[in-house]
Amino acid sequence: MKRILTLLLVSILVLSACSSGSKDKETSGTAKDTKEITVLAWDPNFNIKAMNLAKDAYKAINPDLKIKIIENAQADIVQKLNTNLSSGTTKGLPNIVLIEDYRAQGFLQAYPDMFYDLSKSFHADEFAPYKTATTSFNGKYYGIPFDTGVAGLYVRTDYLEKAGYKVEDLQNMDWNKYIEIGKKVKEATGKQMLTQDPKDLGLIRMMIQSSGSWYLKKDGKTPDIAENKALKEAFKTYKEMMDADIVKPVSDWSQFVAGFNSGDVASVPTGNWITPSIKAEASQSGKWTVAPFPKLSGIANSVNATNLGGSSWYVLNIPGKEKAAEFLAKTFGSNKDFYQTLVKEMGAIGTYKPAAEGDAYKAGDDFFGGQKITADFAAWTEKIPQVNYGLHTYAIEDILAVSMQDYLKGKDLDKVLEDAQKQAEDQIK
Amino acid sequence: MKLIFNGFKHNGLFIIMFLITVIIIITVSISITWTTIRMSEQFFIKKFSITNSKVMNQMKDSFESFHYSVVIASNNLLQSSTVRKTLTEKNESNAAMMGSIFNMYQQMKSIKSNLDTYNAGIVVMGKNGISYATDRSYWPVSDKELRSNLMTRNILEHPKKLMYQYDRLPKQNAAKDRNFIVATRGLMDRITGTVYGSMYIAFAESEFRKFYSNYTSPGNHVFLVNKSGVIVSSSIENRIGTSANDLLHYAEKMEHNSKKYLLARFMNKEQIILMEYLPSFDLYMFNIIDKQTAIGDLIDKKEIALISMTIVFAALIIVFLISRKVTDSLSSLVKQISNASKYNFHQYVSVSGTYETRQIGRAFNSMLDELHEYVDQLVKAQKDRRNAELAALQQQINPHFLYNTLTTIKFMVQQGEREESEATINALISLLQNTIGTISETITVNQEVENLKSYVFINQKRYGNRIKVNYFIAPDCLDYRIPKLILQPFLENAFFHGFNLKASGYINVLVWREGNELICEVVDNGDGMEIGIEGKLPKTKRNRQLFSGIGVKNVHDRIQLIYGESYGVKIASKLGEGTKVRMNLPIRKK
Repeated sequence: MKRILTLLLVSILVLSACSSGSKDKETSGTAKDTKEITVLAWDPNFNIKAMNLAKDAYKAINPDLKIKIIENAQADIVQKLNTNLSSGTTKGLPNIVLIEDYRAQGFLQAYPDMFYDLSKSFHADEFAPYKTATTSFNGKYYGIPFDTGVAGLYVRTDYLEKAGYKVEDLQNMDWNKYIEIGKKVKEATGKQMLTQDPKDLGLIRMMIQSSGSWYLKKDGKTPDIAENKALKEAFKTYKEMMDADIVKPVSDWSQFVAGFNSGDVASVPTGNWITPSIKAEASQSGKWTVAPFPKLSGIANSVNATNLGGSSWYVLNIPGKEKAAEFLAKTFGSNKDFYQTLVKEMGAIGTYKPAAEGDAYKAGDDFFGGQKITADFAAWTEKIPQVNYGLHTYAIEDILAVSMQDYLKGKDLDKVLEDAQKQAEDQIK
Repeated sequence: MKLIFNGFKHNGLFIIMFLITVIIIITVSISITWTTIRMSEQFFIKKFSITNSKVMNQMKDSFESFHYSVVIASNNLLQSSTVRKTLTEKNESNAAMMGSIFNMYQQMKSIKSNLDTYNAGIVVMGKNGISYATDRSYWPVSDKELRSNLMTRNILEHPKKLMYQYDRLPKQNAAKDRNFIVATRGLMDRITGTVYGSMYIAFAESEFRKFYSNYTSPGNHVFLVNKSGVIVSSSIENRIGTSANDLLHYAEKMEHNSKKYLLARFMNKEQIILMEYLPSFDLYMFNIIDKQTAIGDLIDKKEIALISMTIVFAALIIVFLISRKVTDSLSSLVKQISNASKYNFHQYVSVSGTYETRQIGRAFNSMLDELHEYVDQLVKAQKDRRNAELAALQQQINPHFLYNTLTTIKFMVQQGEREESEATINALISLLQNTIGTISETITVNQEVENLKSYVFINQKRYGNRIKVNYFIAPDCLDYRIPKLILQPFLENAFFHGFNLKASGYINVLVWREGNELICEVVDNGDGMEIGIEGKLPKTKRNRQLFSGIGVKNVHDRIQLIYGESYGVKIASKLGEGTKVRMNLPIRKK
């Protein structure tokens, strides 16, 4: 009996021991698949869309490469890049990242080792020089230019005609002429000439770049405010517009878009990327034209061409960089047909000069009365003066926005700019 | 089937015992398993609810600190003179408006810094039609839409109250998030009490989700439900914006019972539901844990079932073997006992097995012994009685015989036949001497023949000589002993019944030895008689003329009584031809 009992106990023990067998399987570490590259960008309607087109175009060249496109807010991308690159961890970084031109130098100068040199992947001289200046550092090209921010003056022809002007009058004009037209338009139609958001000095930026000048000196580091004639002229022009009461204030993007969509303003001086927003109001078809950007009066080297915004693709110096570089080189870097697709599919204009010879660039747009706006923009792109956006575009703009308000309230312009210069020097160093 | 049944017949006890044990073992193990599972489930649920209510408190804390930031931001908005000025100013010039917008921008920037940790979009809207948004693309609602929004109506109803309202954007909207939780409050002049606008601090639902998304997992979800039963935030995205009145119902139940947790069905699953009311948000926060995912994995029911099944099986085998062993000795005992009658109680049972069965076996065996003893005694007593009876009978000379014989002698004397009477008296004397005189039960064949001769002589004197009697006695048999008066009754029978029809005949008495047996025959050629197939004697009325108490019938019994069943009397008869009585006896010399 005892023996049986022991046997029973032993069998129970053995059974329970068997049952507690391990279940966890070792998860096999996923080896980094070099056949896949990731792309990080913002704005699903524009940048992501363009990248998807590039992905499709590349399928014909190398169908094996898997391209994963991740969308994120620009602020988040900037933050991610800064945190990762400064700590030197490449984990979780994408192969290709989109960086706004105004910020590009900041990244390139801070972390030059972290970006992959693309100088041999594409011919930089085939792109607009103002663009390649921002994507390069120390003579090496790190980024392949994407969209141009070439600016134009979008004008309502119907309002213009009511005020007694013709489209031809808008060619090669300066801001004084613009203000004069504005006054007439307001007189004739009661409409404001343009909208402005007081915290966004995009107009100032466009004005000074048309004169080959920037907030910073050529070195990209020293603030160039107090001595900057172009900037001074731009400020003056801005105030004159205010004084002429042809500016409708807006506080944000939607009010800005609503301004021209509702027909409240007669013109929109901004980058070409606004085209889709303008065309969104189909009822205004045929009532718009795009004129060259006005130049600053009294500044000798000011031209009727400038830029606002725009960004470029950069390859990070992490495994998979060769594949990523080749992908960019074969699409954004050299593919003329791909640029035609970009124009046709989404109206995105690049800075690749040979692309301008394509059919899509030469097509007329009925919304703008048959005007070949893409060709025009492409032509202006080549004329955009080359400036060094440097490292601190937005930091200085924050200072200048306050200065502008002071100036508008009546503070002396020289004093305003001198104070701004001092503040900028204190802040930036 | 019958074979099996027969096999079971002697194992009734075993089957009952085994079946009962099986049923009990299975019942016990099932109930213990079930209870254990239930208890551990209860235990886990309790643990779960404790840890999860702690987790919920953490979530609540983060919600509260979030709420605090919102309160600070809204207070700042309310106290900001820039905001009030911008929103109350009427018919401002463009230039002035430009300035106000810029001031507003700066003001809002500092106010928004309160909410820097969270992604938020602040919109303020004045009665004068001016509105300002920090980030219109974050919460893309146009001024027009906002003005007619239900939220705005709610604000105007309770301008002092900071309310969290749920807003769902139309589907085709370009914004990344469709679901928003908007903290709203009226902008009211504290002194005059006039409402000059409203503020909207919008948070994408995904922002809200961050407060608890770390704690959720598949099967462990969080739902924030407002008072009208709409899910405003959840870890299950497609449930956001749908109404969940059942949750509201559970909330009431839990508030009413002040229960920590509730087991109920939700989303067609058995769930552990924890609830926490967020008073500052006026939202119910539910933590809903799928019971299956939470506990299903913890308790491997299959494994438990397998273990208990194996144990039950092992126990059954052991029970089977042991009870088989215990009952086997008993049932073999029973088998032996039930067969005892077949062997005339001579078969002793084998004493084996457990103490009890051994005792029973011993008791049974000693009982058999006593039984035998008793039966032997009984048989002996019976035999003795019968013997005594027969002895008494054989001692008894029929008085009629004596009377008749004496009467015959008397007539002889009267007629002067002196010699004849003397011979008759001598025969009677010899007869009486041999029968009553000797005490011994047996006599020699010679003596018996003498008796027969005397008897025949007397009868011939009485009834004449029409029946002749011949004796053929093998000389070697003369000294063998036979029971007294065993031939006489048959001779008597032949005399008085054998020749009722025939006038004369003979009776032959034959004695010889055949092997180990002594054969005696009384053969007559008289009338013969009808006899049954079994060779039994016909019933005869006791004749008064019989010589002794012993009749034909007794003879057979007597032989068997003395010598055993293999000996006895056989009678053969044919009507008109005569009767033959044959008896076989053992050879005895003493």
